[in-house]
Amino acid sequence: MGVSKTKQPLRKRGGKARSEERRFAFLFVMPALLLVVVFRIVPLIWGFVLSLTDARGVTEGAFIGFDNYAELARDPAFHDSMANTILLIATLPIWIMVPMLLAILIHQGVPGGKFYRAVYFFPATLSSVIVGSIFNVLLRNDGQLNQFLELFGIGAIDWLGNSNTALLSLIAVQLWATFGMSLLIFLAGLSTVPSDMIEAAKLEGASMLQTFWHVIIPTLRPIIEFVAVVTTIGVLTNMFGLIYVLTAGGPGTSTTLPEFLIWIELGRMNRPGYAAAISMVLFVLMAGIAYAQVRIMSRNVNV
Amino acid sequence: MSEFTVGKRQRRLLWGISVPMALIALTCVYPVFFALNNALKSNREYILDRFGIVSEPTFQNFVQAWTRSNLSEYFFNSVVVTVLSVLALIIVSSLAGFALAVLRFPLRKLIFVVILASLMIPVQVVLVPFYKTIIGLGLLNTRAGLILSYTAFFLPFSVYLMTSFYSGLPRELVEAARIDGAKLTQVWWHVMLPMGMPALITLGILNTLYCWNDILISLLVLQDNRTLMVGIAALRGEYTTNVPLLTAGIVLAAAPIVILYLVFQRKIVSGIAVGAVKG
Amino acid sequence: MTIKTTLLTASALGATLTGAAVAQEITVWDWKSGDPAAYGYIDEATRLFEEAHPGVEVNFVMQPNDQYYTLLGTALSSNAGPDVFLLNGGAQAQARFDALADVSDMAEGLLGTEEFSDADGTVYALPITTQGFVVYANKQRYADAGLDPEALPTTWDELSAACEAIIAQGDVPCFSMGNKEGFAAEFFVSALAASMLTAEEHAALKSGELAWSSPKMTAILDAWVETEAAGWYPQGGNSTAKFMDEYETFMRGEAANTIGLLSDVAHWKQFDDFLGAENLGVFRHPAPDASATAGDGGPMMPVAGGIGYGVNRASENIDLARELVATLASAEAIAIFAQDAGILPANPEVDTSAANSPTLTAILGMMDGASAPMAHANVSAGELEDLHRQSQLLLNGENTVQDAVQRLDAAQAAAE
Repeated sequence: MGVSKTKQPLRKRGGKARSEERRFAFLFVMPALLLVVVFRIVPLIWGFVLSLTDARGVTEGAFIGFDNYAELARDPAFHDSMANTILLIATLPIWIMVPMLLAILIHQGVPGGKFYRAVYFFPATLSSVIVGSIFNVLLRNDGQLNQFLELFGIGAIDWLGNSNTALLSLIAVQLWATFGMSLLIFLAGLSTVPSDMIEAAKLEGASMLQTFWHVIIPTLRPIIEFVAVVTTIGVLTNMFGLIYVLTAGGPGTSTTLPEFLIWIELGRMNRPGYAAAISMVLFVLMAGIAYAQVRIMSRNVNV
Repeated sequence: MSEFTVGKRQRRLLWGISVPMALIALTCVYPVFFALNNALKSNREYILDRFGIVSEPTFQNFVQAWTRSNLSEYFFNSVVVTVLSVLALIIVSSLAGFALAVLRFPLRKLIFVVILASLMIPVQVVLVPFYKTIIGLGLLNTRAGLILSYTAFFLPFSVYLMTSFYSGLPRELVEAARIDGAKLTQVWWHVMLPMGMPALITLGILNTLYCWNDILISLLVLQDNRTLMVGIAALRGEYTTNVPLLTAGIVLAAAPIVILYLVFQRKIVSGIAVGAVKG
Repeated sequence: MTIKTTLLTASALGATLTGAAVAQEITVWDWKSGDPAAYGYIDEATRLFEEAHPGVEVNFVMQPNDQYYTLLGTALSSNAGPDVFLLNGGAQAQARFDALADVSDMAEGLLGTEEFSDADGTVYALPITTQGFVVYANKQRYADAGLDPEALPTTWDELSAACEAIIAQGDVPCFSMGNKEGFAAEFFVSALAASMLTAEEHAALKSGELAWSSPKMTAILDAWVETEAAGWYPQGGNSTAKFMDEYETFMRGEAANTIGLLSDVAHWKQFDDFLGAENLGVFRHPAPDASATAGDGGPMMPVAGGIGYGVNRASENIDLARELVATLASAEAIAIFAQDAGILPANPEVDTSAANSPTLTAILGMMDGASAPMAHANVSAGELEDLHRQSQLLLNGENTVQDAVQRLDAAQAAAE
């Protein structure tokens, strides 16, 4: 991240050396390119073709043009999944702020910081099956969270069974399960903030808050961008496991995200063609973010 | 970690902040207690008393998960697949990172963008075609197929990280080696690999996590001879989710990762620091 | 090490990883074979088959139930499916008939084959269990509420009165409830439809001609909302999994009733174990405005051919696969399943008298002339999906029955 050095080409050599360099470069990059093209790009194009058919079950399906997409436009479940996605993306600042704040606090020497740093990463090592099973029990109407809240006189809330709280609960659990990773990235970024800059700010009488705002945050900007992009991809593609275990997409469609809808259409509904159409929409959505990402990332790498 | 002098008032403030942070830390270690507590219960005890602390610990669940539910076989499978996938990822991404960051060749930028863009193609989006590709290549139900799939799916991020890391290395290193008449393969082996070690360790650890915990890709590619996480997921039956059996499986599956994490904790933290930030 | 040696090593490694295939192997997919209660059955069926066919190996692959149909669909559409696979009767089986071989010639004498056959009567899978819904009752809870535990409800009014008394007692809800996946609604709809729909109406629902907005279907959903409003269920039904959270609540004695199964789990055998055989009662779910009655004048009960094994039409060893399915459905193998798991076998030759449960005896006595189709299993997958969703919204009071039936009508129309 944050490459600022300008690129110096390798020293000029003869044409032979340069053609050799070219040859080796292609050889080196080929395995990566081949794998990505064969297992990701080709299936993507194939999926687009599939989305133009009415494939159902084992039958191949005839070409039906963009009918699947027209049906998507009328499918209320799909609309709901899109609305949920937008809500999810709207929570992005929290996904960035929480780990950033914790990282800054640890960096500023909160007592026990080293211990927190070790422990906070722990949930990130667990698979979603594990995380889901645990929160399934904790968040139930008669679960431990409600029992705990009752001590403060707060009545039971059906966290996962109520349309108002289900998606937010899901988001909170996923945040809990992943914040450790972002936190470590922020900590890493903070270690590059020159401490004399902070000292200087101190000497000038800046408060802790001012130091955050004027010194630390600007230095962290590339890290914030990086975490934002990685998190966005994560929440759009990696919440499937949790949804399955915690809410099964309900109540109603309140926790149905596109990736979950794809799964239902493929499985219970047995409609690969229609599922492919949802996939393509999800891909386009992500490609929009990809555009921003590639710009940010390649700017930082200076390729 | 850079510390600087803080006032007494701020010190007290930091202590105050430490309290909620300790609560968060508590939630992070809670799963260990949860899993062990339930794994030691019999199913009957669990049904009758879900929240209480185990009264008659039994290791029956571990035995059953390990033997009858085939977890021992699956465990071996997971280890083989994870280790080889991570090795492949390290080699492929450091080669590609070297080329993309240091060497000059046509279409470099395009290739980099293609690899990065594929980060946006999650497995759900390409489920059916990806599966057909695996079948078409004769890789269904082979470990090699799963290893290639893992390498392909976790590669874009790794390539990005290595490119980023290598582009920050002083290029005099490469220059010097080349003047000594070293071939580029030797430069990679003798210079780039050792120099890239901090970032490679980070990649190794992250990819170990991803491969070990993956369910979806493994479900599709290895349908007969399972990996561990799929075996665990299968313990959630249609009707009978035997929670103690499930948590026993979970403990067995998570143990290696947790141990790995505890052992390499310092390396992970500093590894991510160099890998993700320096560059 | 040069690139070349690296590549050579890699390819050599690749070759050893691919491994060699077994000469003749029949692969079976299901979600049962890893269940401890099914071990004996699977072992016995495998033994019988491998003895009759030396050199052939049976490979049971237990798939995660969550992902079963997605995996199966993906595999079948890529011509890479297993030789034999397990299916739920009704909609799930119907949706896959075009991938299944005709097994009609082996289906003779089995109960519940209609769940696995098309309109022409061609059977595509052999049922191994009979499945159905009854209400199980905790007699102690009835007695606590001042009710006669030996006179369990037989009409809707009696059930309503019983629930009122149980709720008034204040300790437990009338029914335990788990609707996280929408299953509680499935069970409720089928339990009521059994008595409320005539045979013709059941057929019309199956063919998509009886709309959800018809008076009877609307009445069923109305009852769903009214029973919730009357306080029959505990709080948090939408976040409770029916399997097994709902049933565990009942087994702990924390609910007076539950709509349970006849076979596999959540049934007499399991409840006997926890509540004690003498404390467990059973009755058929009454319905308001019943239009069909059983031989004894009481409510009807939904009964269907639970689960069954089918043969992949594209299997390379189709004859062996058929033999295996026959073995899996045979009386010898099923007898062990019946004994271990407490199932009602689809094969009437299986002797169940060894089970020795008063509740089972009561159930067998109640089944005579009381069997009705299982309504939810006969509607399309799209309707079922929407029923799950709408039922949750209704339970939360986030939707009206009017809106719900409109959505369900649309799903019904979309299914052709």
